Amino acid sequence: MSAAATPVERRFTVGTVLGFLKDNPIFVAIAGLAILTSVVEPKFLTSDNLDNIVRQFGTLIFAALGMTFVIMAGFIDLSIGGIISLVAVVTVTLIDKIGQGPAIAVGVTVGLVCGLINSGLILSAGALTQAEALFITYGMSLVYGAVALMYTQGVTQFLTYSASDISYFEAINSGGFGPLSVSAIMFLIALAVLYTIERRTFMGRSVVLTGGNKVAARLAGIPISRAVVMIYAISGLMSAIGAVVLVSRVTLADPTMGTPWMTQAILAVVVGGTALVGGRGSVLWTVFGTLLLILLNNCLNLLGVTSYVQFMLRGIILILAIWLDTAKQNAVTK
Amino acid sequence: MVAASSSGALLSIRDVSKAFPGVKALDRVSLDVSGGMVHGIVGENGAGKSTLMKILSGVYEKDSGEIVFDGRVIERTTPVESMNMGLAIIYQELNLVNTMSVGENVFLGRFAESGGRAGVHAKARKLLDSIGCKVNTHTQVSELSVSDKQMVEIAKALSFDSKLIIMDEPSSSLTNDEMEKLVKIIADLKAKGIAIIYISHKLDEIFGFCDVVTVMRDGHVIDTRAVGDLTRNDMIAMMVGRTIENEYPPRPDCAGETILEVKDVHTRKLKDIHLTLRKGEILGLVGLVGSGRTELVRALFGADKVAKKTILLDGKPVEIRNPKDAINLGIAMVPEDRKLQGLLLGFPVEQNISLAMLSRISERGFINRSKESAISERQIKALNVKTPSGKTKIRSLSGGNQQKAILGRWLEMGPRILILDEPTRGIDVGAKYEIYLLMKKIVEDGGSIILISSELPEVLHMSNRVNTICDGRINGEFDPAVASADEIMAKAFEFA
Repeated sequence: MSAAATPVERRFTVGTVLGFLKDNPIFVAIAGLAILTSVVEPKFLTSDNLDNIVRQFGTLIFAALGMTFVIMAGFIDLSIGGIISLVAVVTVTLIDKIGQGPAIAVGVTVGLVCGLINSGLILSAGALTQAEALFITYGMSLVYGAVALMYTQGVTQFLTYSASDISYFEAINSGGFGPLSVSAIMFLIALAVLYTIERRTFMGRSVVLTGGNKVAARLAGIPISRAVVMIYAISGLMSAIGAVVLVSRVTLADPTMGTPWMTQAILAVVVGGTALVGGRGSVLWTVFGTLLLILLNNCLNLLGVTSYVQFMLRGIILILAIWLDTAKQNAVTK
Repeated sequence: MVAASSSGALLSIRDVSKAFPGVKALDRVSLDVSGGMVHGIVGENGAGKSTLMKILSGVYEKDSGEIVFDGRVIERTTPVESMNMGLAIIYQELNLVNTMSVGENVFLGRFAESGGRAGVHAKARKLLDSIGCKVNTHTQVSELSVSDKQMVEIAKALSFDSKLIIMDEPSSSLTNDEMEKLVKIIADLKAKGIAIIYISHKLDEIFGFCDVVTVMRDGHVIDTRAVGDLTRNDMIAMMVGRTIENEYPPRPDCAGETILEVKDVHTRKLKDIHLTLRKGEILGLVGLVGSGRTELVRALFGADKVAKKTILLDGKPVEIRNPKDAINLGIAMVPEDRKLQGLLLGFPVEQNISLAMLSRISERGFINRSKESAISERQIKALNVKTPSGKTKIRSLSGGNQQKAILGRWLEMGPRILILDEPTRGIDVGAKYEIYLLMKKIVEDGGSIILISSELPEVLHMSNRVNTICDGRINGEFDPAVASADEIMAKAFEFA
């Protein structure tokens, strides 16, 4: 290769990278946040803290990945808070009765069934707008949460009080193969499967098309109802997996523990760049949205920002993400 | 500031250019509009008409050139500023607040300074009276017809003392009576010295009441001429850049045996429907908006739930509960509203074309993407869809090309029966002709077409048989080669 060609090639590369970063400001935000925090608070880079970040990421990511499908289709699922609570208490209380493996299987199935119930209600009500789905799933969140409370009589269930073997939970929390932890492997498998569904399969495409224009998609024979069933089933299933990971990490199941995860999951999806109106998004984007959100929580904690202010900042970030996305779309349209 | 141009025109546009990524939408466009004139602007979709109007109204910013309005040089304006200057635009998709009253809409955002509730309604009444509109100012806008909504928009424009009113394809959803009313109002406005820019695809309107016409094509002004100096064919040739001998191809003639029979359809709108369709036939359905013509084809296609209907295909009863069933039987439908029911605007052309074939090109649930691109490449080529590539978002295509892409979506499956509901609405002469040729080819290849259109000449020239539909009933059958337009319209209007 001639010497003259090299700089041209490099300039091209730098240009591409800059263009990419301009279109995807989330990477700049992630890097900026990490650098800023490590400068201001050296504790950020300690292995304890990084481990903490990975664990928090590992809990939120599953529900957020499921939520991505729901939002891509132009719907929303507010019931996952209730689902996570219910799955957590069901799983933990069943360990002594049927053993840890079956308990996890039943818990995950409960999540899946909750998702199917949601989709059944939405379809039978003919509720094909986001607002209707919002209220129905919010109602169901209360129902699932109430079932969890009734089931446990409001009592927190401790994993460590179990008489039986809880080695699966311990493995999810701290086990691993080589450099990869068990939850990291679960995450990678879930991401690969969901990404393949999203990009390659007929049903995945149907989900995005539903979010793009339900009416047009239906008139062209796209199975809208099946897409709705699928997104809520996936959301319920992924929340349930998230619940099992959460239980493993905090070693207890509380009948109200799922509540904060609903807003966090939606936030992660939207911050990642998936359009709240549907039709555009990716589970891959949600990975970065989740990462940014967890980093932000972590750095605010390290910097000693009170949780009240943190709540406010989350709200601001959500609005900012939607605003940026709308601005970007308007720029494209013009 | 005194106008730089010496023409003394009310609006003077000099060498205005505007580029979008990949497209030069306007290339040194110049145009003068004088007061008291009706100035028509015609051109195919994508010719740059809308871009020019959006620059005038302040939605877009021009890249270069000069605009002088009423003696003032206009650099960058906003929609509100341009209204205050006396330049009003009435868009095709009217910009009224449906949940507010007529009076409140006329003085939207100026409620207090217009004298509050009483003042607003009194002033709105006066303005509406001045254009002969009888609508009550307390009526909620959502209850008005499209025509009355237009009147409200015109009253709103007058409330700003507008010197120039731009109307963007105002006739596209008006009935003939309503159109006559609009023409009268335009004449009144003209008499008051107000200039009108009238954008339209319909040559009848340009020749009917415009004084001057500017023809645009591909971002250029081709020519501005007095309407009296032009013939129809001149104008069409200027618009498409080539001569089109006829607006319609010769009527196809290949109707065979009956393949479809629809009967006993009862809904809230439809009564006692009985409809037949033959192989290789184009059947025209003529009726007013709201007559039940769209409801009928939607019921046939399974788009709406219908309590009871009998459909015989090749003499055998078939069940069509949803569009998917219809598609599996070889029935396709291009719906009435392209943007709301046909297109996925944010998606690539390719995915818009492959849509109806998607389940068939999927193997074990996975989309065969090479088949998908092959389908889209084939249809883009076959239908001459002008797009940079299959990956381009369909939003950026012109109306005619979007419509061709939707046709391509259905042609790929080789439909036996193709339902076309307003297939040429809002698209230009050149693309229309291409769609007519396509319809001819479809029936010659053994397909059948049900054509719904508000443009009667289109139905008369293209159909083998015409059914009129009125108040939910099919009330007449005509041979369009023999029957006159008046006869057919009289039948379609019967219930009135």
